[in-house]
Amino acid sequence: MNEQPLGVLIVEDEALLAAELGFLLEEAGCRPLGHAMRSDEAVAMAHKLSPDLALVDVHLGDGPTGVDVARRIHDDCGVVALFMTANVKRLPDDFAGACGVIGKPYSGHGVKMALAYLEVCMREGVAPGPAPVGMTLSPAYARLWGLSDQPRAV
Amino acid sequence: MTDNSQSLRAAEALASGHGSEDPFAAAIRADRMATIITDATQADHPIVFANDAFLRLTGYGRDEVIGRNCRFLQGVDTDPLERARLRAAISAGQDITCELLNYRKDGSTFWNALYLSPVHDSHGAITHFIGSQLDISDKKRLELQWNERQNSLEQLVADRTRDLTQALEQKTALLHEVDHRVKNNLQLISSLLLLQNRRVSDPAVKDALRGMLERVNAIATVHRRLFQSEDVERFDVSAFVRDLVSDMMGSSARTDILFRLDLERVDVAASKAAPLALIVNELLSNALRHGFPHGQPGQIFVGIGRINGDFRIEIADDGVGMPNAAKSSGFGLTIIQLLCQQLKARCETSDAQPGTRVVIHLPINDAHP
Repeated sequence: MNEQPLGVLIVEDEALLAAELGFLLEEAGCRPLGHAMRSDEAVAMAHKLSPDLALVDVHLGDGPTGVDVARRIHDDCGVVALFMTANVKRLPDDFAGACGVIGKPYSGHGVKMALAYLEVCMREGVAPGPAPVGMTLSPAYARLWGLSDQPRAV
Repeated sequence: MTDNSQSLRAAEALASGHGSEDPFAAAIRADRMATIITDATQADHPIVFANDAFLRLTGYGRDEVIGRNCRFLQGVDTDPLERARLRAAISAGQDITCELLNYRKDGSTFWNALYLSPVHDSHGAITHFIGSQLDISDKKRLELQWNERQNSLEQLVADRTRDLTQALEQKTALLHEVDHRVKNNLQLISSLLLLQNRRVSDPAVKDALRGMLERVNAIATVHRRLFQSEDVERFDVSAFVRDLVSDMMGSSARTDILFRLDLERVDVAASKAAPLALIVNELLSNALRHGFPHGQPGQIFVGIGRINGDFRIEIADDGVGMPNAAKSSGFGLTIIQLLCQQLKARCETSDAQPGTRVVIHLPINDAHP
């Protein structure tokens, strides 16, 4: 690929998950830019690093602030956020401006598939097909990338 | 107030026309039912006759009631709506039945079932109203008690429902919390295995870690599926297999191996989900890792359906076959044996010529020997 690899910010309060996710990102051809464990860190790093994508857990070091993080970095910096949470059903209907969600527990393969899929979506502006197994697109992004509203994962 | 003497004259006229020899008049005078007659030709319809039963009921003397409109029986707690209904019936010249709270001379109250009907002369003009009063205080009291009991029962039901709803909400919140923790812990376990796998170089250790990771992933997939479905008691085996195959296919990076699926929807109890998932995972893993050594291409078939009241799960490959396959992990086989025992399932392995076919028969209910 000639394009710049996706710069990715990890927002996750579990150090082991974040470390493994960092390796996964590299394997998937992405550029891990940093790792935030709290909401204020996440917003500050998003401003400073201008990532293409932020992987955001809902429960962070300072509480269930991930939803707020996704909304702020989307509204303030135009960062595409992707939730990674075990609480898929608790997300707001508009996904707080995030492009979608990967449900925990995810597999390494599932994350790689999702990253490859999102890279195409963001580069081409059109989805290459329905979202891969384990990932759900938000209604707004499904429309943006040319998919009719997907039912949430069954 | 109009002149009382007019009413007295009217009363006398009425009485003189219906002396003691008149059986109808005698019946009304002696009736146990309180009865009055009012003069509809006078303004404000004064009472011109009251029988003894009426005087006993109300506590008034005859001279205290003749010439008065009978609204003196009403008081502060008499229902204004019922009074309005009564007035409307009188001015329309219609008969009416109503229930009024009335007051005796001594101020005590009683419930009065009043029946009022007009009396017409030969020209059809209304000359009198005849009213009969029945003391229905007992019935009213029972009604009131009944209503109170009804209300308190309804309140009780409402309270109980609220308590149960709250309890359910708490339980649901707790369930979500536990589910959340289980998922996060599964994620943590798989991250640990992955991280260690990156550190070690010994192929045997790497292989063992990969095997454990697959098992944890299989359980994780079960858990994701279980809580996604509406019914947390049932587990859709085919949907799980679809997820698992997609994941294994992807992570094996063996694009030369084709998967063929023939999956009928089959639900098992949630308690059987994890053991069944682990069995399927071992079988798929065996086929994938040992059926096609040295980049040999091929096909793996997974079929799920029902046969003779059993669930039948078939996993077949067209690879090198058991005798030729590199020795599969003894631990994997142990897992399959133990879990089949637990599920009372039967596991048959046969030569697929070429390759290996394994069929699991899982009894639908536990009664199966």
